[in-house]
Amino acid sequence: MATERAGTWLPEAGKLELGSCCGPRMLSPERLALTDYEYLAQRHVLTYMEDAVCQLLENKEDISQYGIARFFTEYFNSVCQGTHILFREFSFIQATPHNRASFLRAFWRCFRTVGKNGDLLTMKEYHCLLQLLCPDFPLELTQKAARIVLMDDAMDCLMSFSDFLFAFQIQFYYSEFLESVAAIYQDLLSGKNPNTVIVPTSSSGQHRQRPALGEASMLEGVEASLFYQCLENLCDRHKYSCPPPALVKEVLSNVQRLTFYGFLVALSKHHGINQALGALPDKGDLMHDPAMDEELERLLAQVPGLVNSVTASSEASCLPSRTPPRVGSPWRPLHHARKVDAESDGSTEETDESET
Amino acid sequence: MVNCGLHLVIQTSSLPEKNKVEFKLHKETPSFPGRLLQHDLERNYSSRQGDHINLVSSSMPSFPILQRSSEEKILYSDRLTLERQKLTVCPIIDGEEHLRLLNFQHNFITRIQNISNLQRLIFLDLYDNQIEEISGLSTLRSLRVLLLGKNRIKKISNLENLKSLDVLDLHGNQISKIENVSHLCDLRVLNLARNLLSHVDNLNGLDSLTELNLRHNQITFVRDVDNLPCLQRLFLSFNNISTFESVCCLADSTSLSDITFDGNPIAQESWYKHTILQNMMQLRQLDMKRITEEERRMASVIAKKEEEKKRESQKQSLLKEKKRLTINNVARKWDLQQHRVTSIAANQDRKDSDSPSQDPCQVDGSTISAFPEETGSLDSALSNALQGLSVTDTHLVEVDGDTLSLYGSGALESLDRNWSVQTAGMVTTVSFTFIEFDEIVQVLPKLKIKFPNSLHLKFKETNLVMLQQFNALAQLRRIDQLTIDPQGNPVVSFTLWKYYVLFRLSHFSMQKINGTEVTQNDMIMAERLFGILAHVASSELPQYRLISILGDARKKQFRYLLETKGKKPGVVSEENNDSKRLVGENTNRATLNYTTRDFYNEKLEEIKEKKKFCKMYIEDLVKEATEINMKNEALQKLWPQMFIELVRDAVIEIRNKSSYMKLCLQQITDQK
Repeated sequence: MATERAGTWLPEAGKLELGSCCGPRMLSPERLALTDYEYLAQRHVLTYMEDAVCQLLENKEDISQYGIARFFTEYFNSVCQGTHILFREFSFIQATPHNRASFLRAFWRCFRTVGKNGDLLTMKEYHCLLQLLCPDFPLELTQKAARIVLMDDAMDCLMSFSDFLFAFQIQFYYSEFLESVAAIYQDLLSGKNPNTVIVPTSSSGQHRQRPALGEASMLEGVEASLFYQCLENLCDRHKYSCPPPALVKEVLSNVQRLTFYGFLVALSKHHGINQALGALPDKGDLMHDPAMDEELERLLAQVPGLVNSVTASSEASCLPSRTPPRVGSPWRPLHHARKVDAESDGSTEETDESET
Repeated sequence: MVNCGLHLVIQTSSLPEKNKVEFKLHKETPSFPGRLLQHDLERNYSSRQGDHINLVSSSMPSFPILQRSSEEKILYSDRLTLERQKLTVCPIIDGEEHLRLLNFQHNFITRIQNISNLQRLIFLDLYDNQIEEISGLSTLRSLRVLLLGKNRIKKISNLENLKSLDVLDLHGNQISKIENVSHLCDLRVLNLARNLLSHVDNLNGLDSLTELNLRHNQITFVRDVDNLPCLQRLFLSFNNISTFESVCCLADSTSLSDITFDGNPIAQESWYKHTILQNMMQLRQLDMKRITEEERRMASVIAKKEEEKKRESQKQSLLKEKKRLTINNVARKWDLQQHRVTSIAANQDRKDSDSPSQDPCQVDGSTISAFPEETGSLDSALSNALQGLSVTDTHLVEVDGDTLSLYGSGALESLDRNWSVQTAGMVTTVSFTFIEFDEIVQVLPKLKIKFPNSLHLKFKETNLVMLQQFNALAQLRRIDQLTIDPQGNPVVSFTLWKYYVLFRLSHFSMQKINGTEVTQNDMIMAERLFGILAHVASSELPQYRLISILGDARKKQFRYLLETKGKKPGVVSEENNDSKRLVGENTNRATLNYTTRDFYNEKLEEIKEKKKFCKMYIEDLVKEATEINMKNEALQKLWPQMFIELVRDAVIEIRNKSSYMKLCLQQITDQK
């Protein structure tokens, strides 16, 4: 029954997606190198199409009441705005770079106030905050991010919001890339010829071992230039998102030698990479979000009344105050901010086209 | 006085009838113990006997020699009174071998001497002297009354030959031990009041003893009294007896009829009187008061009650012990479970121990949990408790006043029980211990219905680890107070947890969290920290998501009701309104809800299935679409050429106009 009904709707969905996304890009050289299907998959269009249909299936009773066309409009609008990841399952949140950036941005927006308040929190507490947005967020990722801040030991130390957020950004957004980097780093440490290294896909855990004692006591870490060569090589081949090679080069050119965590710390503190990622504002502006502050003031003004007349104010808060202008300009807000991010995906046409 | 006194008649055959010595031994009154006896005796003699005695210095240096005039000798031939003569030694009494009664009261005699020749002496009174040792009496074989009160005697000794002693008064001395009296088989009265006795024993052989005075000692226990076959009166006032056990031999005495315990710690006890009466049925008088039938009846009633009480308290302590053991057991199980979650090594044990222990917990536990409102079933609960002391229970439910305490996950099933309206209405505090929070979440709707007045929730050892878990509490009707014990709830170590609770449960206007009053500032802080989260959650979620999330919450709330639906439609609809109101109250944070781990995983599983289907479906669609697109593109590519070819063919065909016309006409005729 369910599949049958869904089936009748679906051709429409497919057309909608194909028409709006893939049509105008026929001339792209990359597009010609791939089959249509591969191209759609690579651009994560399929991911969203699948998810949209999945969501439709999930809530078919509710959605059938207000229209399927409306649903798809809302779905893709929210994808553009980056609000589609709120309270979603982790597998979806990490599925695309756009989702990851959206999640980072949502996390920052929702919990900026915690940082503003000046509270230093533990890794576990940050994890709890993450779980408020994504109930099944894995602890491992949070731990890895905390390790960048706290350097391996003393895992229950307190961290500032910004330190954690930037470390978390690198770890979360580039997690597959970092896995590979860790493997390369390990190979370099043990003196293997890095150029013959085949990128391992899942060798997590290895990099946590400290370098052998003899080497470590004399020279910690690996030589920066050699490391860069390997990373450049990796970026070329890597199918997941990587930081822009130019910026990686910049990070590595400042030092002679560096350790794996030194590298991660440098990445997390590099504001160019943050910009390239496009999810978070610069460190200086991290606590700055005038629109939200205004909203917060409005909410705070309600608090005293809230205490005294819970029932009285219930009507007012019954309808959530939606912000209509956002719906009006679906593509702009996030893409504007994420201009450089798109670059890191490997192609520039998308943003070019949407802006011309 | 006459009743209780001992009427003593000393009579010897040779004595003329009128000279019969007659005196009474009276029981001392509390204010003058021991003295009265002396005074009575004194009065008896002094009234009859003149003070005409001459003490003549003897030839021997230190002993005066007593001589009486012959007429006096005739008048009082058998008695001699030397009262208040400032004697420091016993004088030599010559020519008075027939003396039967000798009185040395109130002198300064330090040693009993010079009377060994008075072998017919029956009565010897040495009251109020300075004698330090009993001596010089070995020849006085016929002595029947020996009065040595108010002296300095430390030891009962040298009475071996006084076999016919009837009255022995040793009151007001320094005796610390009863000894050397077992041969006094004719002794009827023994006065040891105001000595230094710490206990009573060595009473064997005193077969005729009827009265024993032991007042004003330091006696803590009494033994051997059951070996005194004739004992009727026993005075133990003003001693140090504090338990009935220390004098329990009294209960075995069949002859005892009169006893005093006043001035002992025991007499202060509430159980004193009825315990004594209950244990000593033969008593006729206690502490100088006659025991009435009524009192005896009362005593037995009280004793019965006491017995019951004791049994009850035993029951109670048994139950208490049972409770303690059960809680321990639950705690142990919990620890094991907690440990198991983390360690893989113990996984094997888990399977082994889990399956058998789950079953008994349901059967056993439900009968054992004690419900005060079911007083009738207390006995059966007790008998169960007795049987079940091996402790197989894995949970405990307890209602104590306004507090419902649940220990162990099995206890949650008690919420399904039919609670009396009264009990349910009384419960305002619900405490959970050793239960996974996720399991508690599932029964919250039940809790809400069964205990509508519960305002204070307590959690201890419930594995609260995440802030989002607090979301689950939002579905309750009302919470005034929340107490999260840090033990077993790591979430409490977070700096933000209180604010999150306040923020998420702001519609309850909570008053206290972990015993601390909630202030306005706390509320503002909570809003400041998390207000944006709520705002983002409510205003930025796409409409369909909002509906589905809120719908989930509502569905979850109704899950329980749906299960029990059909029985009470009224309740359901009421609940319906209630939850609508609830959801309405805080839509902007209702999106922040909590799905238990299991339920969430289930959902993820479901989603996975759907995803798989969607993936295949989209794949097919896209393939189809791309194929169509490819064909379309191919057609677009071919089309110009095709068009040219078509036009060329047409042109070639009509190049020869006449032959084309002929051909056309031919076709038309052929068609006809």
